[in-house]
Amino acid sequence: MERVNWIQKHLTEAAKLLPAQGPITAFVFLNSLQALEDLPFEQGLERGRELFGCETYLSEDRYREKLATGRIRVSNLVDELRADLGDRGGQPVGPSGTLFDLRLSMLISPVRLAPTEEIEWFIAETDALSKYGVEVLPEVGEQATEKTRQWAMREVRTNPANPWRQALPKVMDSGIEGWSRDEWTAFALKALWEVCRRGVKDVPLRKDPTPQNRHRDLFRAATGEDCDRLFNEILIPFCARFVDQGLATWELPHREQGFWKTFKELYGDDRLVERWLKALPGELQRLSALSPEEVIADSLRLLGVSDEEGPEFLTRELLALRGWAGTIWQAEDRGDRVGHPMPPGTLIEYMAVRLVLLRVALGYLVRREMPEVKSLAELRGVLRSRVSPAVETTNEERAIQVFQLAQILGWSASDLAAMSREQWCVLVNEIEAFHHPQRRRVFHQAFERRFRTQALDAITVHTRDRKGAKVENPLFQSVYCIDTREESFRRHLEEVCPRAETFGAAGFYGVAMYYKGVSDAYYQALCPIVVRPKNYVTEEVVFSLAESNRRRSTARKRLATASHQVHVGSRSMTGGALLTASLGVLASFPLVARVLFPATTSRIRRAFGSVVEPPRVTRLRIERSTEQPGPDGDSIGFSLSEMADVGERILSETGLRSGFARLVFFFGHGSFCLNNPHKSCYDCGACSGSAGGANARALAAMLNDSRVRKILAERGIAIPDTTVFIGGLHNTAKDTFYYFDLDQLPRTHTLDFETARDHLEEASRRNAQERCRRFYSAPLDITPGEAHLHVENRSEDLAQTRPEFGNASNAMCIVGRRERTQGLYLDRRSFLVSYDPTLDDSDSTILGRILGAVVIVCSGINLQYYFSYVDSVGWGAGTKLPHNITSLLGVMDGAASDLRTGLPWQGVEIHDPIRCLFVIEAHPEAIEKIMQRNPAVGNILRNGWVQLALLDPDSSQVQLYQNGKYVPYVPSINELPRAKTSVAWFRGWREHMDFAEIDPNGTSERQIPCPTT
Amino acid sequence: MNWFTILGLIVVGCPTLLVVVLGVASIIDRPLSERWSSRLVQIAMVAGLLASVAILVMMLNDDDRRVPIELGHWVVLSEHGHMTAKQLANSDHAHHALFHFSFKFEFDRLSVPFVILTFILCGTIGAFAEKYMHREAGYNRFFMLYSIFVLGMVLTSLAGTIETLFTGWELVGLSSTLLVAFYHERQNPCRNGLRIWIVYRLSDCGLLMAALLLHHLSGEGDFDSLMGAGAWPEGVASLPPAQAFTVGLLLLIAVAGKSALIPFSGWLPRAMEGPTPSSAVFYGALSVHLGAYLLLRISPLLALSPALSALVVILGLSSALFAAFTGRVQTDIKSALSFASLTQVGFIVAEIGLFAWLGHRWNMPKLLYIPLVHILGHGCVRTLQFVRAPSLLHDYGILENAIGGRMAFVPPRWSSALPQRWRTRMYRLALHRGNLDAILQKYIVDPLVASLKWLDGFDQWVVKRVNGKSDESVSDDS
Repeated sequence: MERVNWIQKHLTEAAKLLPAQGPITAFVFLNSLQALEDLPFEQGLERGRELFGCETYLSEDRYREKLATGRIRVSNLVDELRADLGDRGGQPVGPSGTLFDLRLSMLISPVRLAPTEEIEWFIAETDALSKYGVEVLPEVGEQATEKTRQWAMREVRTNPANPWRQALPKVMDSGIEGWSRDEWTAFALKALWEVCRRGVKDVPLRKDPTPQNRHRDLFRAATGEDCDRLFNEILIPFCARFVDQGLATWELPHREQGFWKTFKELYGDDRLVERWLKALPGELQRLSALSPEEVIADSLRLLGVSDEEGPEFLTRELLALRGWAGTIWQAEDRGDRVGHPMPPGTLIEYMAVRLVLLRVALGYLVRREMPEVKSLAELRGVLRSRVSPAVETTNEERAIQVFQLAQILGWSASDLAAMSREQWCVLVNEIEAFHHPQRRRVFHQAFERRFRTQALDAITVHTRDRKGAKVENPLFQSVYCIDTREESFRRHLEEVCPRAETFGAAGFYGVAMYYKGVSDAYYQALCPIVVRPKNYVTEEVVFSLAESNRRRSTARKRLATASHQVHVGSRSMTGGALLTASLGVLASFPLVARVLFPATTSRIRRAFGSVVEPPRVTRLRIERSTEQPGPDGDSIGFSLSEMADVGERILSETGLRSGFARLVFFFGHGSFCLNNPHKSCYDCGACSGSAGGANARALAAMLNDSRVRKILAERGIAIPDTTVFIGGLHNTAKDTFYYFDLDQLPRTHTLDFETARDHLEEASRRNAQERCRRFYSAPLDITPGEAHLHVENRSEDLAQTRPEFGNASNAMCIVGRRERTQGLYLDRRSFLVSYDPTLDDSDSTILGRILGAVVIVCSGINLQYYFSYVDSVGWGAGTKLPHNITSLLGVMDGAASDLRTGLPWQGVEIHDPIRCLFVIEAHPEAIEKIMQRNPAVGNILRNGWVQLALLDPDSSQVQLYQNGKYVPYVPSINELPRAKTSVAWFRGWREHMDFAEIDPNGTSERQIPCPTT
Repeated sequence: MNWFTILGLIVVGCPTLLVVVLGVASIIDRPLSERWSSRLVQIAMVAGLLASVAILVMMLNDDDRRVPIELGHWVVLSEHGHMTAKQLANSDHAHHALFHFSFKFEFDRLSVPFVILTFILCGTIGAFAEKYMHREAGYNRFFMLYSIFVLGMVLTSLAGTIETLFTGWELVGLSSTLLVAFYHERQNPCRNGLRIWIVYRLSDCGLLMAALLLHHLSGEGDFDSLMGAGAWPEGVASLPPAQAFTVGLLLLIAVAGKSALIPFSGWLPRAMEGPTPSSAVFYGALSVHLGAYLLLRISPLLALSPALSALVVILGLSSALFAAFTGRVQTDIKSALSFASLTQVGFIVAEIGLFAWLGHRWNMPKLLYIPLVHILGHGCVRTLQFVRAPSLLHDYGILENAIGGRMAFVPPRWSSALPQRWRTRMYRLALHRGNLDAILQKYIVDPLVASLKWLDGFDQWVVKRVNGKSDESVSDDS
């Protein structure tokens, strides 16, 4: 009974480790290691790597490439190593030099490891013993040779008791005085190799703890047979049938009875062809009276898993097929997000089935491969004794590292020969302790340091030189999502129209709601994933068009039913035969047209589709008359005071409490693209993977309401009568804008609107041009107009796997007044959040609210990209080309793999895996208070899952948050490169851009300052 | 050289040249850039398509039913030993030869539409893949295999002799297998690719034996001498029914393997491992039709033997029923579509068996155009569906919105007539894909492996006995 309790508790706990991805139609950006956020970043990564078996840093080679191209500098490595080693850096290691020197040379020059056979070949067949390695500086080599020469002639040759005489017989050569330089080099290297081999012999081996406690891993290591693969052939199809949201037309029988019982019904009788499944029906019958928890307990007992190792064992079994397990868990835990939710306890039942299958498959394989093992409980004991626990490192494998490092550091054979056994132990242990995960960690930190230095330099210099002021008397104001994609758009708009003022706020604009559009069948949640909305909003056709809407929706329904019947029919037998044999050839027209002429075809399709589209003139139903909000009738919508709350909140957060222009736009964003199961990962993250247009529209409607304005005026926000709010939608794939409710725009504002729209359109053309520099299929010298056409074509193309890059390359998040960073070229890499510290209270309530959403959203996005990039196959979804939509919930590779969660490679290709650098315009006290108030934010900031720097609200001083302290930052440059326009800066280049000052009044197009000393 | 020969050479030459250029560039390790390889593919496909359309127009214009193009006699063995080319030219024909092997292409009302279909679909997929595969690590490899596939398809459809057909058939098989295993860094694609390769090889044995038998019976592998003088579909075969049955039976094995008919259907869903344009389209919409195409080519044989026709009908219908049954429980779009494909291919095969025989009985050979049109139509529809497979979620969203509710499950009508217990069993049977793979494994593969192991043991035992008891190292080594 006790067992049953902890099993249930532990599985619910371990489920948090599973990928938190629900249906792929609402992609959720979260840290892949969210469950480990209470550990410091590096430790979390280490634990994650060990649990999931995935890489957490880039490969060493990738970092060295960055070192070669200057994206990491040697100085960054030096700084990072110093910080990492602290006092230990000066500790002497080897014949000369310090631990710091040793590690630095291990970072800069690749020390190759190889299996013994390869080393033997390397020594015998290459010039390893006749020339110094390419990384060795010539003078360093020369000096080492010279030292060896003295040692050989004065010590080895003259002293008969010298122990090296045997190993180096050549030293007794009578012609030694006549040796050429090459001969001496070869001798020095030979001596070095011999000394290294002898030296490492006495150093005890470190034992690596190998945490293999799964039967499958041990069994596979011993026999090469994989029991997981065997039972996955049953388990994966069954999971897919069980969670199916309607792809198959024939439903799994008895599905309503739950995972375990359904499985028992399906496999409980005795007619199975597969040999390995022979034991399954009997097992299921034996267990039929037990609860799923008891079945798990029974399996653990039979597998010989003790209570102590039970939790760890269950966690690892759970993570083995984590895509499916995670999807099951999400459909169980967040039933509000799927059509057919899973009943509570499904994950536990899944585990019960999994362990039974494991026993059956393993039992079969053991009987076949190791008939001498009588029970599964003793299997691991037998296997552990067979598979050697630690991988044996041979003498050669250890010596070759010292051999290479000695050359680079200029240690001669004589130096090493003089070392004591203790010194050898220290040296070899230090080399082995700094193995590749450690080196990659330092590389990663140096890479982050490089970017951080550049970013903080840019911000310090920019805020110092350009004391930007708020736009006086703005022509119009517009508010965007904090998304990195809007950074470039806002920059271009400010360049096109200097009198346009822009703001950034999380793209659901405080309107958390379930929303149902006029042609939608269901409500969907439009707010961050962590929020469960209370209010419901619907879109309705205006009364005068209601009749036409009814007609059109009936027509739509008929068309859809017909097209569905054609689709299903084409898969059936007779229907398909009639269809394909009669009209099939006609399908070649849409096929060829859509592949070869995507944009034209889509225009034609849309023209036809518009006949049955809902009428354009619609209204949101946002005001309710009942007390409590609800999904039907009068309870739909917000109350007046709720609307005023929403309005006040968003206006305070953005700092737009006064100085309103005649037009204020709110833009949600969404992405339109075809043939892309991962479409929703391009939509608004703050609206949990949907387009945020409805939120912007609702907010504008609320703020246009005179009654709401009256309440706001009482609360100190006076909106002039001449100000009109407009909601809109930014299509980030096509770079187009759609404006809602223009029919309600007062006549007096038409001209203002047209002016603003022209500016917005010009800015979107330039924005398209900036995006195109990243697309290899777009020419580098593309004009803004052509670029706009290019991005439109991309989004209409069935074959396009990169309609846009979403938030890829995101690296920082600036929280503060726009005027302080306006004119700084941020390369679409920064989230921009508007916040005016001068309007906040002493408790920083507003900042607290902003960070409560922004830190979680931005770190979620950033870390999702991070993990999907560093190990695309492990954390991400791999390449999207073989993806296969399954159960309407996710994608598999091919016909039977684990569900692939995370981002596909094509979406993260241009990303740089660095933690988000938050630059917040605030004082340390304010941040400390917020971290205390909000533990989730505190965890992320304190444990370093993001980097944090504070910009002083009154000066250009930046303080960097490191190890719980705020360290003033000293900029390393005095001047930023300047360019007249963004275009002048980014043109001609596809990779990441450096920071620059966009100065329309500059003297030359582009101006790069001389490097300072 | 007349116009037909020139155009015919263009049709065959375009994909051949493509293979040569891409292949040479890959071998000397100078793979072409994305831009150049896609441009070459476009040129080759458009030129091939235009040439084959021109041939169609000329044939319709001249009312020419059959245009053979011969590319020389490669091997001729007569009763007098080897013949020189000159002797060959002088002598009446290779018909007198004991063995005769030539490359010959046949343009007729069967092959020309099929080759046009091949060029249209492969050309479209080429244009699709050019963008779809952009910046993928295996871009060059993909187009290399793609070109081999196209060449195989063209050779197979135009083949005038069974050897030519076999060449094309094998190229298609080889490139398909390698495309399934395109992501060779993962285990599943390789395992599935290997499995498909084994099925292909086994069924190809049928084709190879049929080729040998044909040579044995008529001294050559030319289809025209086998099928009589008439152009397709009017040809009348000249073999005795019993021989026709044997040859037909062997060919049927090849057909069943290539078209994933029972009992080889298990490979079709496994083929969905490659990138969408290859995996889905090539097996789902193109090469899976090759079996049916071969049956059409040998339709005069079917006409001769009612037993053979009946067998073809039964095989086709049962495959269609099986696929329709299994397809209902598929929860991933590629498997659902591949079983939908198989349903129609089974149907097409059944149609061929039926109409070949009926056409012969009623003297209405034109009936065979029905399965041909069915192939063409089905190929186009399925390609479009496969290419749009990633849009499924989007389509479902629109559909549900328009209908105003979730899609309901529709269990098969007949299942409600069954008792509950049997409904579950039938479901499981569908879920396990009719147990076809399991049955093959249990009753064919396992006994075979066991017998090989037994033979191995026997072999060692013999060796031991021969060497005497002194030699223990033998058993140790093995």
